[in-house]
Order: sequence, then structure tokens, then C-alpha cells
Amino acid sequence: MDFGRVPLDASEQEFLDDVRAFMDKHVTAEVLEEERRTGSGFNERVHLALGARGWITPTWPGERGGAGLDPVRARILELEMRRAGVPSITHGTTRLVLAAVEKSGRPDLVAELLPGVAAGTVRFCLGYTEPDGGSDIAAAKTRAVRDGDEWVINGSKIFTTGAQNCQYTFLITRTDPELPKHRGLTMFLVPLASQGIEIQAIRTYGGERTNIVYYSDVRISDRYRLGGVNDGWSVLHGPLDEEHGVRAAGPASLGDLSIGTSFLQTLGGAIDSALAWACTSNRADGSRPIDDRMVRYRLGMVALHMEAGLVTPGPMGRVKGSDALVRGAADLMDLVGPAALLSEGTADASLTGAIEAAHRFAQGTATYGGTVEVFHGIIAQHVLGLPRPAYPGSKTLVSRKREQAAA
Amino acid sequence: MDRFELRYADYSLDGEQEAVRDAFHEFFANECPTERVRAAEPLGHDEKLWRQLAAMGAASMGLPESAGGDGATLVELLLVAEEAGAALAPVPFAEHVAAARALAGAPGAAAELAADAAAGRRILALAMEPVATVGRQLVPGGAVARSVVALDGDTLIVVHADELPPLAPNQGSTPLAWWDLAGGQRRVVLASGSAAAAGYQIAKAEWKLLTAAALVGLTERALGVAVEFAKTRETMGVPIGTLQGVAFPLADVAIGISGARNLIWRAGWMLEHEPAEARRLVPAAFAYAAQVATHGATTAAHMQGGLGFTIEADASLYFLRAKGWSLLAGDPAEDVIAVADALAAARD
Repeated sequence: MDFGRVPLDASEQEFLDDVRAFMDKHVTAEVLEEERRTGSGFNERVHLALGARGWITPTWPGERGGAGLDPVRARILELEMRRAGVPSITHGTTRLVLAAVEKSGRPDLVAELLPGVAAGTVRFCLGYTEPDGGSDIAAAKTRAVRDGDEWVINGSKIFTTGAQNCQYTFLITRTDPELPKHRGLTMFLVPLASQGIEIQAIRTYGGERTNIVYYSDVRISDRYRLGGVNDGWSVLHGPLDEEHGVRAAGPASLGDLSIGTSFLQTLGGAIDSALAWACTSNRADGSRPIDDRMVRYRLGMVALHMEAGLVTPGPMGRVKGSDALVRGAADLMDLVGPAALLSEGTADASLTGAIEAAHRFAQGTATYGGTVEVFHGIIAQHVLGLPRPAYPGSKTLVSRKREQAAA
Repeated sequence: MDRFELRYADYSLDGEQEAVRDAFHEFFANECPTERVRAAEPLGHDEKLWRQLAAMGAASMGLPESAGGDGATLVELLLVAEEAGAALAPVPFAEHVAAARALAGAPGAAAELAADAAAGRRILALAMEPVATVGRQLVPGGAVARSVVALDGDTLIVVHADELPPLAPNQGSTPLAWWDLAGGQRRVVLASGSAAAAGYQIAKAEWKLLTAAALVGLTERALGVAVEFAKTRETMGVPIGTLQGVAFPLADVAIGISGARNLIWRAGWMLEHEPAEARRLVPAAFAYAAQVATHGATTAAHMQGGLGFTIEADASLYFLRAKGWSLLAGDPAEDVIAVADALAAARD
């Protein structure tokens, strides 16, 4: 057991200074403002600059385009990227998909793409959710049909965040509707420049941009298939388990314990703002809000749930992180009062804008990456060992059966 | 507090810590079934169990070697407390250990008292309120402790009673008793000045973490009982545990337990290594454990329906103690406020 600061030797300290200088230079106020305005989760200039340093795949050796960082340096980089506020959604999805590409992609495809991933010119997004499917991604209906050495894809995917900035989407398709639900799926890495792909923007009130992507007779080579035909679920499982924190094994003593950590860092920023407001503003009677026990109670409650969230492990941490943010941000809004409603980015909201933004952003965290309900199910079955419920559509495609019955 | 600071997050136990946890787990599993917990009601103290526990070294392990102990860290004591809590063990472990550690570190402690405390022959307790600010007060463990450690102004004192005060019967079946610490009993000054206040604050923080750990153990066991019920009880042809209305609230309890345990460990580690961090984390850990336990015991009882509301069901034992333990030091809302106080102090 150890929660202490990691002591840095001279060369590690030098690395930290170097990383901070990089962030100061590249993650400018303009970059942050652009991200606030566009919500794209990506900045090409910063991403390419990271790639030039080998910091997109930081633990890879230099000859593969990485920086050969050891765990301490890799963690320093990760923390400083967060501190600086590097737009990182696309960076995250790229790394998530990368593992599956390396494991299940054809050697020639892997050899072609990896240098670009490391350099920052090749980026991946997630083509999981369908407009009428929600979190049940094994219910995918987007069809891929073989035609000689090619596949023809038809369907649509929603919440493909970052598609406008990526070169490939990690697409889950239905290749055999007759097989049981999880067995008729195949994964592809679909080039987004292909004919027949249309990307439409969707905006969230969390300030993020995501997309709906339509696939109309999109033809791709079989070389973009990842893993076996109809074996897509096992290809998908690696990245999915990672996203769900199911495989968060081992002490991982330098990493995040909670997979909801990023949500809690947003909450942390809102708490800092609320604390600054409470300690520096004056009420009519001249007192500060922080002098009021009710204010301290409410602030303390939000803060303690953030602390609890940061140390809640595995799939439990994903639920707790979102829950603490959703409730906490709403409570901080109430605490500050009507001034908390003033829009982030306007002059009057300089002190409390982070709370206003956190409150809008919080709502999405209960859904993306798998809803908190999906995770409650995972916890009930895998942590508590409760029996799995038998739903009509858990093993087969219900809609398909209905179609057959109707026919 | 720097949220992006490079720190270890190593929650693993070393071999010795695992051995401590396993030994006490086995001890309570063998010696403290819920029948024994019930048999100890309403006092909430089983003298024979306490002697067995002391014979295992539970009363002395956390004392320095100079005071006849093994120099165990607070983390090891938290592991024991969680096992005791899981078993609902009717012994004043948190009270005695917190008070004995304060006593062992104080210049004015008599050797004989320290030796008796280390052996568990004389049970100690800790007053939760400063003597000067209240008259008589309810002292946790006070119905079985012959000596109570307390803060009186700027002195740390121990007050000895020749006769045990009567039990104040209570919801949690714990050995609570009224003590008038300003009264005529024999009192000895253990320390004075800033050392007294600091020693008392550490003792109270340790009591809170030990009690929080016991609450986590309690909640996990209550959850286990409810999960077993949900696996076997059927409604409309399916186990009720397959229903989301049953499974999801139980998952919420598991979420709380997993975070509370880690928060307590982290706070306990910080109390020994980085007091500035502990100032925020100790009250956070206690308040969170109190919420998790009261919510968890309520949920666990409710998942057993009307049966969970009966005295016969073990769910009742957990429900009554979840509140019965988490309220002993006063309204946990004070700990919530203390978290904000720590944040504000760190900002100044």
C-alpha cells in the first residue's frame, strides 16, 4: 500500500519540465477556446505535435514512432496532458482501437497504419451504436455483405464521435443474421474517405460534437476486416472490456483506479470554482458564503463524493464517477444560485463558468461508454454473482424474428 | 490539492497485512456467528470474546513495541476492524485501540495502566466531546470501559471509574454509557498544551476510521445476506435477483462498499504519512462510510421484504447497527462540513 508522491530523479524532473514546456507552447488559450466552441475533442495541430514527439504511442520504442517512455514518464505525460486540457477524445478512441487492430488486423494493414497512428495522421473512431439500438451494441443491424474480395456495407451508426477528424472507423456489422445475435457479427476498419459514407454532425448540450454516419453501398476491401468472419464479438471484446473496466486487474499503482476519473476531474474543476466563489465573494451582510455552515455542508458533500469516486475501482468506478458528477454539478449550481446559470465563456461567468459547463456536460457521462444501467447489470452479475435475467432479445435478434413471423 | 500530481495508487496488501486480515477473518468466522452477537444483546459486549481477541493480540498489536505492542500500522488495525465489523463482533475494538494508542504516546501515562491496556485486562474508551464543552456525555464503549481518555481544555486526561456506569440501552446494542468526566472520579493528566490537542485529534481520527472500517465490513456482510436471498427467492417464476428493481439497488451498495473501503485505507495511510491530506480524507471517509452503511443496510433489509423487517432476520442486526455505530461520534454532517473546512484551509 502506498499513496505517496512518486519521487522523481533529476532526469525524470527534466522530463516533467519538458512536458510542461510542450503543453505551454502547444495547448494555448486559443486551442482551449476553440475546443470549447467546437467540442470536437480533437485539435490537429496539438495531435501532430504530440505525434512528432512520439507521445501518441508514448511507450512504443522510438523506431516504431513512440518515445520509449517507462511507466513513470508515461504517467507524467498522461497527467500533464489532462492538466493542460489537451482535447483528447479522438486520441482516446484511437488508442482503444489500436489494440484490436494490432491483434486482429492483417500484417500488411497493421504495417501500413501503425506509423501513421504514432505520427498522428491516422486516427480511429468507434462505430458501435446504432440509432435504434442504444447500448445493446450486439444488436447491430448495419449489414456487411461479401462480394468477391470486397464487402458492401449498408446501415447507420450514431454517436461516432470524432468521425470528422478520423481516417477509419472501427465498425461492428452484421454479416449473418441467421446466426445467434453475438455470432453473426464481423468487425471492420472502414476508411472514412470511402464512397457512400456521409457524416452528419450532432451537437450535445454538453458542448460536444458527435456524429451520425450513414453507410450506403460502401465497398471496402476484405483487407480491412479485423479477425474472422462472424467472429467480431471476440475482436470487439478487448477494447470493450477496457472501456468497461472489466479487465482492470492488478494494482496498476500509477494509473487511475476509477474508469470514471475523467468525469471526476471535471467535477474537481467545478468544486474549485465553487470554493473560489465561496471564499472570495461577499454577501449583503459582508460575510462570505464559506462562513455559512450550510454552504460548507453542501460543498463538503460534493467533495467527499468526488473523493469516493476517485477510489472506486473497476466497473463500480464508472457508475460512481458519473453519479458524483451528475449530482454534484447540479448541487453546486444550486449552491451558487442564479449566477451559476450564466453561460461559460461570458464575462460574468469567469468565476463560476466551470460549474455551468460541468452541469451540462454531466448528463452525457451517464450514457456514453455504456449507460450506467449497463454497468449496474455488469456489477450485479459479475461482482455480486446474481443470476442473469433472460430477456427475449439477449441471445437472438428479436426484430429479425418478428420480421420472419410477419413474413 | 493538486489533482494531477504524480502519486502511487497502490491499494495492494503485503503478505503480513494479508495474514492479519485472514487470521482475524477466520477467528470471527469460527467464534462469532450471529447467535453470539444476539446473545450479547443488549449490552453489546461479550467478555469471553474480548479476552479471546486480546489473546490474539488485537488489543496490543497497534501499540509501539516499547509499550508491549507489535508496532502495527493503522492500516493493519483497519483490516481487523473491518473483520470485526463484518462479524458484528460485540467487542469495543475501535474504542479501546484508539484510546490505548493515545495513552501509549502520552508522557503522563502510568506503566501499569499501559500494560493492562495492552493485555486487554482494562478496557479503555475515548470521549467524543471535549469535557469542558459538555456536561455528562454518552461514551461509546463507556459501559464496559473502566478508563476513558478525554480532552479537557488543553489537557489530555484519562478518567478512571471504580465502578462501571450502567448501560444506556440503545438502538445499536453497543455498550454506551453516560460519563460525567468533569466529576469526582480519579483523573490523571496524560499530556498538556498542543501535544494534548494533537494527540486527542489523532485518537478521534483513528476511532473514526476504525469505526468506518467496521461499517464497511457490516455493509458487505449485509449485502451478502441480501444477495443470497435474491438468488434463491423467486417471484413469477424467476429469482428476484434477475429483476433490475432488485439487482440494481444491490449493485449500488457494492459500488459504495468498494469506494468506502479504499477511501478509508487511503485516509488511514495519509494519517500516518501526510496529515495535511488526512485532514480532508478522514472526515470524507467517515461520512461516506456512514452513508454507505445506512443506505446499504436499509437496502439489504428491504430486499428481503417483510422478512427483512423482523427481529428474527439477521438483516435486523445490520440495520440497527449501521445507524447505531455511525452516530456515536455525533451527526456525520459535521464530518461533511470538516471536508469543506479542509478544502478552504488548503486554499488559504
